[in-house]
Amino acid sequence: MSGAAHLAVTVLLAVAVVVALICCLALLLMKDFYERLHYMAPVSTVATFCVLAAVTVQEGWGQATLKTIVIALVLFFMNATLAHVTARADRVHKLGHWTADPKEDIPGLPKHVDSERKR
Amino acid sequence: MNLWLLAAAALMFGLIPCGIVVFTRDAINRLVGLEMAGLIETLVLLFLAQGLNNPNFYDLALAMALLTFGGGLVFARFLERWL
Repeated sequence: MSGAAHLAVTVLLAVAVVVALICCLALLLMKDFYERLHYMAPVSTVATFCVLAAVTVQEGWGQATLKTIVIALVLFFMNATLAHVTARADRVHKLGHWTADPKEDIPGLPKHVDSERKR
Repeated sequence: MNLWLLAAAALMFGLIPCGIVVFTRDAINRLVGLEMAGLIETLVLLFLAQGLNNPNFYDLALAMALLTFGGGLVFARFLERWL
């Protein structure tokens, strides 16, 4: 592996690890469940694809890269599905239903939009 | 110790916040902590496979990713229906 390739692998791995560690810390520090849920996304996208790029740079096209592509795709689609399913579970757990209720209060919605929606 | 093993060791520290969330928060937040821990563990197994230069170990990371997915779905369904 050339010097440039080694540098690229180092940088990609550093980015992946730093992003993952920051997201783990944010998971702990966020107060709200929905805020917390968002921090799975950078790990399964930015960090995972940085690792994929690092493996590709180091190994070239081969068994390792193909398996890493499969893992990255699984993690990518897993995050979207799991985030939705977990948020849905929380909503059903709290409200008893999943469907939208026109009379339901949505925090943060401007008053004129809220009154228009409830009309 | 090569670069990949060093990255795996550093990434293991990410499990500490996940563990704190899992052990101290309510059920739905514990599920988020568990899912994040699964993601981190998958990446750690990937780093170990590359660091130890054994392509067979990639299957462990793939199995971990798939089991995290299945486990997350089952737990979310369980929370939704029975808790």
